[in-house]
Amino acid sequence: MALLPENLSFSRKILPVIALIGLIFAAVFIWRGLPDRELAEPDKEPPRAQGELADSARVAGAGVVEPSSEIIDIGTALSGLVTDLRVQPGDYVEKGQPLFVVDDRAVRSRITEAGAAINEARAAIEEAQTARRTAQQQLQLYRQVEDAAAVSRAEVIRAEGDAAAANSRLKLAQARLSAAQASAGSARTELGRLTVRAPIAGEILAVNIRPGEFVSTMGGNSQPFIRMGQTRPLYIRVDIDEAEAPRIDLGKDAVVSPRGAADQQVKASFVRAEPLVVPKTSLTNSASERVDVRVLQVLYQLPAPAEGQNALFRVGQQIDAFIPAKQSGSSAQNGEGESPVKPASAPASNGAAQ
Amino acid sequence: MLTGDKQKFYGLLFGIAFSTLLITQQLTIFVNLIERGASGVYNVPTADVWVMDEVSRTTDVNFPMPATALDKVRGVAGVEWAVPHLRANASVRTQEGDLEGVGIVGVDDATLIGLPKNMIEGDINVLAQPDSVIIDDVGVTNLFENGQSPIGERLELNDQRAVIRGIGDSIPSFTSQVVLYTKYSQALRYVPGTRNRMTFVLVGASDGVSPDELTKRISEQTGLRARTRDEFAQDGVDFIIENTGIPVNFGITVVLGFIVGVAIVGLTFSLFIRDNIKQFGALKAIGVTNRKIAGMVAVQAGMVGMIGYGLGVLGTVGFISAFSGVPQFKGFYIPWQVPLVSFAAMVLIIALTGWVALRGVMKTEPAAVFR
Repeated sequence: MALLPENLSFSRKILPVIALIGLIFAAVFIWRGLPDRELAEPDKEPPRAQGELADSARVAGAGVVEPSSEIIDIGTALSGLVTDLRVQPGDYVEKGQPLFVVDDRAVRSRITEAGAAINEARAAIEEAQTARRTAQQQLQLYRQVEDAAAVSRAEVIRAEGDAAAANSRLKLAQARLSAAQASAGSARTELGRLTVRAPIAGEILAVNIRPGEFVSTMGGNSQPFIRMGQTRPLYIRVDIDEAEAPRIDLGKDAVVSPRGAADQQVKASFVRAEPLVVPKTSLTNSASERVDVRVLQVLYQLPAPAEGQNALFRVGQQIDAFIPAKQSGSSAQNGEGESPVKPASAPASNGAAQ
Repeated sequence: MLTGDKQKFYGLLFGIAFSTLLITQQLTIFVNLIERGASGVYNVPTADVWVMDEVSRTTDVNFPMPATALDKVRGVAGVEWAVPHLRANASVRTQEGDLEGVGIVGVDDATLIGLPKNMIEGDINVLAQPDSVIIDDVGVTNLFENGQSPIGERLELNDQRAVIRGIGDSIPSFTSQVVLYTKYSQALRYVPGTRNRMTFVLVGASDGVSPDELTKRISEQTGLRARTRDEFAQDGVDFIIENTGIPVNFGITVVLGFIVGVAIVGLTFSLFIRDNIKQFGALKAIGVTNRKIAGMVAVQAGMVGMIGYGLGVLGTVGFISAFSGVPQFKGFYIPWQVPLVSFAAMVLIIALTGWVALRGVMKTEPAAVFR
């Protein structure tokens, strides 16, 4: 106890000090324990409207990238086994370039057959010509005889008949020749149909057949054989909620970014708005889309990627788009947006814009 | 004077400390409990504004919207960004075959906006792997009672596989329900399908636009209900206040604490004053005014009050820190307003009882010293 002053009272001196220290400790504890409710910036860039669009009226939509020709699912005219595949995904093909060949052995043998038939017909023609010549010579001979008693009447009739028969045999042989030629021609056409060619110039997007597989004209193949489309340039098809559709300023450029790379935005130029408003097919990942929302589809053209740069957009990719809304009388527009039914003014302004 | 009689002094101290402890601790738990209603909002650290269907009330009481609502919101001027957010309930089958109700939170696929700020284990990018979910830490204790690590565990949700690949650090909800965070597209598969799925759109306000202004614009242009973060948190709290008996129960306890304080302190005070009535008489006899006597008593009572209050608050702090490791108490904190309230209550108790006890003294004749 020597260390402490003699008249140190627990209740009068130590306790207040303890209480004071306790209070300070509690204050610190409370201050440090307050929850962290600060707002933070997102780690990854979400899609956002930038530049002029950031603070002005705009319409947003989700869409997909598609070829400017839309996707063409290549079919086959004839069923059969694939014997030769001439393209692979990513190839850029010209119009008319062969894509794949269906087994043509049967058709080729028919061509050979037809060739043989032609030869046969030709031989028949020659034979008929010879026969006709003989018959005519014979008839000529009989006709030169002046003495009627020298040749019986029956002989003459037979010779005349022979000549006529030889004539018609020649005609028949000629008809056979043209029939054989026609069947050779049709076999050749069929041979041409067995080679499937590109209907337009474009890029091969997907190849779902391999040599040896059977392609059928009757369906039954779950996937299209080859999918291609004109990817120079690419288009995007943006779905706009029908409620928002009247606000769009059609004709203006849209700001577009691919999913997952929202910081890489490009300007896409207006192409057209589809005349048909369709039920929304989901581009927002829903499992089974049964949404009673209808959407106006608007097409925009993406700029070509710079030389030597990896393409930012690929066919089928989802994108987020921001499109300017009509500026003129934007306040009035907002007013219209609030009241759901304004039958007179809304369609009128819509029509004027288009 | 007050410290003279040790038993009565400690009795007085105990009374004040106890009622302070009771009031502070109960108020703290009350505030934290009802704030659990807002935990869903506070667990999303990035959203300024929440947009929902008109009839949605809280993060858990919600009604889904069509998917195009997202684009409608994105079209509003002043919206910096907007992402979809899905909250739904589902049942999960564990490996042991138990059924457990879980909350599914689907966050934006590309940006992962909507996840809690911090992770206890794993990285948020594990969601890029197929069938990944992130579980919250309360869910770990509820779902894995034997203390095994949940990482890599497989669950079954709506006949789909879900693999836990991370543990998020979040404040539990009011019901301490297990929460599984996953990507929006994945969440759509985990939640049995209805026509519309998207329950919220999370919005960031652009610079220069206040969230209040933005909520007004969104409501006007889209017809959806938009709430700022604080408003929506308040909605969650209000929902619990309206729908549970918690405020009444805790209110009763707080009132009881106050009454106990008044009773103990008042009784002890009166005894003190009565014991010392002769001394007061003597003081009066030598000419000390009533005002001076009241001042003396006030100083001493204030001293005792401060000590008691300090100990009471210290007790609460000790209580909260002792239980901070318990999952059910996760995120509990002492709001700075609560000690002030209990301080006011303590001052009120002392003033009330002191005034009642001193009334007798004020009327005492100096002659009382001789009786």
